[in-house]
Amino acid sequence: MTGEARTVSTMSWEKETREIEARRQLAQQQGGDDGIARQHAKGRLTIRERIDALVDPHSFDEIGRGAGAPEHGPNGELTGFTPANFVLGFARIDGRRVVVGGEDFTIKGGSPSPAGLRKSVYTEDLALQYKLPLVRLHEGAGGSVGGSGGPSLPAPVFAPSRFRSVAQTLKQVPVASAALGAVAGLPAARLVASHFSVMSESTAQILVAGPKVVERAMGEKRSKEELGGAAVHTRNGTVDNGAPDEPATLEQIRQFLSFMPDNVHHLAPVRACDDPADRAEDMLLDIVPRERRRAYDMRRVIHAVVDQNSFFEIGRGYGRSQITGLARLNGQPVGVWGNDCRQLAGSMTADGAQKAQRFIDLCETFHIPIVALVDEPGFMIGSKAEQEATIRHGARTVLAAASSTVPWASVMVRRSFGVAQAAHYGPEAYILAWPSAESGPLPVEGGVAVAFHREIAAAADPEARRRELEEQLAQRQSPFPRAEALAVHELIDPRETRPMLCRWIDRVQPLLPNLLPPQSG
Amino acid sequence: MATPITLETGGTVWKLHVKAGDEVTAGQEVFILEVMKMEVPYEAPSAGRVTAIHIAEGDVVAEGQTALVLS
Repeated sequence: MTGEARTVSTMSWEKETREIEARRQLAQQQGGDDGIARQHAKGRLTIRERIDALVDPHSFDEIGRGAGAPEHGPNGELTGFTPANFVLGFARIDGRRVVVGGEDFTIKGGSPSPAGLRKSVYTEDLALQYKLPLVRLHEGAGGSVGGSGGPSLPAPVFAPSRFRSVAQTLKQVPVASAALGAVAGLPAARLVASHFSVMSESTAQILVAGPKVVERAMGEKRSKEELGGAAVHTRNGTVDNGAPDEPATLEQIRQFLSFMPDNVHHLAPVRACDDPADRAEDMLLDIVPRERRRAYDMRRVIHAVVDQNSFFEIGRGYGRSQITGLARLNGQPVGVWGNDCRQLAGSMTADGAQKAQRFIDLCETFHIPIVALVDEPGFMIGSKAEQEATIRHGARTVLAAASSTVPWASVMVRRSFGVAQAAHYGPEAYILAWPSAESGPLPVEGGVAVAFHREIAAAADPEARRRELEEQLAQRQSPFPRAEALAVHELIDPRETRPMLCRWIDRVQPLLPNLLPPQSG
Repeated sequence: MATPITLETGGTVWKLHVKAGDEVTAGQEVFILEVMKMEVPYEAPSAGRVTAIHIAEGDVVAEGQTALVLS
């Protein structure tokens, strides 16, 4: 028996399995103690630490642990193993499965090794195959001029575009990405090819090209932070959000995904809600000042109406006259869009229009109903606005709303003017009006200036006459005729907004499955 | 601890309700900016004493500017 056992032992695969284990151990060491120490010294986490911080404990199920480059001694024995510098796998976030991946900056500065590039490109394929949300945690640059040491032949002419799967994910699954260190070239493009992107304000920069390239080409001397720090990119729409540090950045990814379905074939998850659907906040009665020029805080309205603490704002730093985000109504995820009259009177600017269009697209892709809190004075005017092609971007937003298929509820909080107001009402929108609602082709002030300019000019005191006319016309803007003509579904006490919206969401929920696309083979 | 009130947008200072040394309560309106013909009120985020004022009525101000500081 013992002889037999010994025979089995020498015939077994122990040597190889020991090497598999050795390689796995070495792969866990990433770029080695020095590489990790350098990363920590810059105040940044390693990719494995990032994944651990993001996902549910012990849920990371790695793919391609053996990908990398072994080093051998003179007798062929394994002396080292450099793992592919992209870590990839499945994991769970709040119990829900996702695909997660990111560059390992401790090896070659995240610039792709051959196996690293292969894993990196596979990320989107995995998300598409398993129809799972995708999270990319970016830090690193694109290729290097010296090449990545890969095969010497260039890719064949018939090779599929590397960006094809990136484009497909955006139509199929939620994609959330984070910039956690310097992100340039290809990783920068993948960062923004997402439904939600967030950067760590203390550790990340996003660059098409870094300082050396910029100085060489343009003679412009700028630091990484000056070129592509958070002060630049949270204000121009490159990323949706900023967060103070890496943990807060990852927390935003978790929050975003909590509103998202697994893929376009499912509906967004409804949560149990302990906030009463009939909660009526008294502050809504007087939040909109009777003085028509007086601003108020639309975010207070949003917080009073949606489920408590459920509002997750997206894009606060740019297009600031528009407020967009995700929230819940009686547990059902909804998109929320309001005007911020403290910013350029809440008007539709070129960047505000682009932000709103992106928001409408997000809700459309994932079948999320939209609640619009309308206080729209119209497109932004003036020479700067004309130079920014406001009408072009604004019209696109209006058309995005007009083509929308998700349920809309639009609450006329105050102003609703011009062509721009049309962007705030999707087809067959459920329309509620507060007593403070005003609407028409253009606000009283502009209308008076145009229609009565001769009368004003001829008056003894033109300024006084102007104000008199404005006041007279504003008085005529009673809220009741709209209700009398069924031009709105309901004229309401502002305190009824949440109860009415919760009843609306209850009515439209059964319609949402009709929005799901047919499953293809 | 000093609490600065920073301007969210540029505009013109329309009304300034406080002076240095005033005690304010949380939520009290402290000044109003005029932005695109809208009057945009600013409130004290917390109770405290006004220790510094960097704006005056009629000033044209820029986004990010510190308007006043509360103790």
